Amino acid sequence: MAKAVRNENAIGIRRRSRKTLMTGLLFTSPWIIGFFLFQLYPILASFYYSMTDYNLFTAPEWVGFGNYKKLFQDDKFYLSMYNTLYITVVGVVPHMAYALVMALLLNAKVKGQSLYRTIYFLPTLVPAVAGSLLWMWLLNSQYGLINMGLSAIGITGPNWLVDPDWTKPSLVLMGFWGTGTITVMYLAALQDVPKMFYEAAEIDGASKWRQFWTITFPSISPMTLFQLIMMLISSFQYFTEGLVFAEATQSTGGPENSLLFYSIYLYQQAFSFLNMGYASAMAWMLFLVVMFFTLLIFRTSARWVYYGGEK
Amino acid sequence: MLRKKTLAFISSTVVALSLLAGCGSNNDAANPASGSPSASSGAKPQEKVEISFWTTYSDADAGPITALVDNFNKSQDRITVKMLGNQDPTKQLTAISGGAAPDVLLTYWNNIGPWADAGAVLDLTEKIAQSGFDVNAVIPAAMERMKINGKVYAMPFTMSMASSLMYNKADFEEAGITKPPETLEELFEYAKKLTKKDADGNITQIGFIPDYPWIDNVFWPIIFGGSWIDEATGRVTPNAEANVKAIAYQRSFYEEFGQNQIDKFKSGMGKRGTPQDPLLTGQLAMYIGWEYNFMPERGEDGPIGVAPFPYPADRPDLKGSGMVSPRAVFIPAKAKHKDEAWEFIQYLMQTDTQVQYSLDAHVIPTLTAALSDDRLYVDSNKTMWPFYERAKSENLNGFPNSPYINEYLQALTEETEKALKGTLSPQEAMDNVAKKIQPLADKK
Repeated sequence: MAKAVRNENAIGIRRRSRKTLMTGLLFTSPWIIGFFLFQLYPILASFYYSMTDYNLFTAPEWVGFGNYKKLFQDDKFYLSMYNTLYITVVGVVPHMAYALVMALLLNAKVKGQSLYRTIYFLPTLVPAVAGSLLWMWLLNSQYGLINMGLSAIGITGPNWLVDPDWTKPSLVLMGFWGTGTITVMYLAALQDVPKMFYEAAEIDGASKWRQFWTITFPSISPMTLFQLIMMLISSFQYFTEGLVFAEATQSTGGPENSLLFYSIYLYQQAFSFLNMGYASAMAWMLFLVVMFFTLLIFRTSARWVYYGGEK
Repeated sequence: MLRKKTLAFISSTVVALSLLAGCGSNNDAANPASGSPSASSGAKPQEKVEISFWTTYSDADAGPITALVDNFNKSQDRITVKMLGNQDPTKQLTAISGGAAPDVLLTYWNNIGPWADAGAVLDLTEKIAQSGFDVNAVIPAAMERMKINGKVYAMPFTMSMASSLMYNKADFEEAGITKPPETLEELFEYAKKLTKKDADGNITQIGFIPDYPWIDNVFWPIIFGGSWIDEATGRVTPNAEANVKAIAYQRSFYEEFGQNQIDKFKSGMGKRGTPQDPLLTGQLAMYIGWEYNFMPERGEDGPIGVAPFPYPADRPDLKGSGMVSPRAVFIPAKAKHKDEAWEFIQYLMQTDTQVQYSLDAHVIPTLTAALSDDRLYVDSNKTMWPFYERAKSENLNGFPNSPYINEYLQALTEETEKALKGTLSPQEAMDNVAKKIQPLADKK
């Protein structure tokens, strides 16, 4: 009797939990359907297309790894990868360091701090195209504010937008302006650092410098890891600003293709040359490269990221 | 308990229904459309067909084309054209590759090659033959751009033309120059006279910049009588003698005035087409002129002068050379109403339509007959007159349309840039283009 009751109960629970599952699935179905249709399917399809010769219109023609082989013989593949790595290597770490310094300053107890915080965050709200156009004026070699400022201290500024050696540094420079989001996130992380650590350090007579490196930096290291990976990914997809700057010289790749970033070249292959298969292979190659760097960072993170005071 | 269950049931039903509604809305929308007219179709034997027409024009520029479409819609009662502007080539590409292609599209001529090669564009050969459309009535330089491997895939609705030199009259006067240059050699000499430098050697005014506002890899070879492909052998010819000469000529300006100097000066020039246009401010004394530049300012009493573009002194036969860049109308291979679309295109290619559009939009008609039409020669249209005249020149030309046209143009731009900067010689640069593009030409 008792056993039977228990069994009945178990069935009841199973039935109910299946029902809950169905209800749950039903409620999440908009996302699930959206994910399968608009993400998973395109991702898988692009992998298939990367193995084909495909021009968007006629049926794809299977070429195996042909597109990937061709990639390694393509000068512009290397050039666009170099340009992208340049903007990533030269851009990401300085931008993060700058954002951290700004966050430290904005974390200080000063009158009117919320106003400063607003001011430093504002540029982030400017759309990428508008911001780039504005910076093109600042960087104008004849009348731009930057070169005017430089000439006031006796330096002849470079021809930022036209000289192929300076186009990418121009973009890096502009990038400092848009670090508001990272600053805000660092600011949040800074406010989470327990005050008692500082109090203890002060009693022990640690300098501010020492406090930063032994308390602050390790405490916010999870945020640094997160930011580093997010910025790395977005930097590998660098597109809009490069395209706008290149437009200044009426071309897709800027002076001597110095602004031909990987995504821009991919776009050109796909929509201008109609090499959709080749472009898909480029996308997968980019995925592998980003994956490699992300894993690399994760691997090393064990050495410098602390969670709750532990490595 | 019961309440909770009921609530869960109701809410899940709502979600399910709304999902179904999302799927079904197409049917709902389609049913009345297909249902009700069919009821009345018994009374009306011929159903009115609606065709869609996509253009690249922004709202600000869409006035003249809207007038033409309205006119067409009023002129007959079988076809209604519904126009949609602001459709850039990427959007067009998406539409014609997907299931719901518009019936007629207006696009830049260089899209026709790759799109036609991919099978997305309807071959018009049959339609032309059936309707008796006279292809020879179209300006050959414009018509030629619509052909890929000898087949016609589009019609040149309008064309832009670079075969003029525009100059700042005040700059000329100041330098004591009384008439525009005749030959390219004179152009170079004038440019020297019209260039000024300050005490530090910085350029403050420049006579001419050959790659302003962009590196033109089609215009310059045409001026020198160059070519890009030898149809007979299938060889690409970017490195033909005339082409190389065209690059060397442009390079000579950089050698004369200095790479850095020009670059620096150029980046400080005002934006083209604004009141700060360098030709208007006199910063730049001469540039390659298109029919849309300086509409009011190039009038008789205006500050801008217009002249035929100079030719090489040793090639007087090339007088009147210039480049045309048409806008093409085409029918996608997947269009639903191809016959009606072709009818609309024929309307766009009539003399009356072309004349009207030229008056309204200040573009060059693409029909030879329209160029001499009396209606165009009214005083209010005076600034266009010399352009109509120059559009009759037999030396007009353009880049050959082909499946690999965009790769070819891209390679030309990249290598020309190197040659202009002096990193490669003009010959080396153009040899590179041939090397890059020949495999593509062989493939197609």
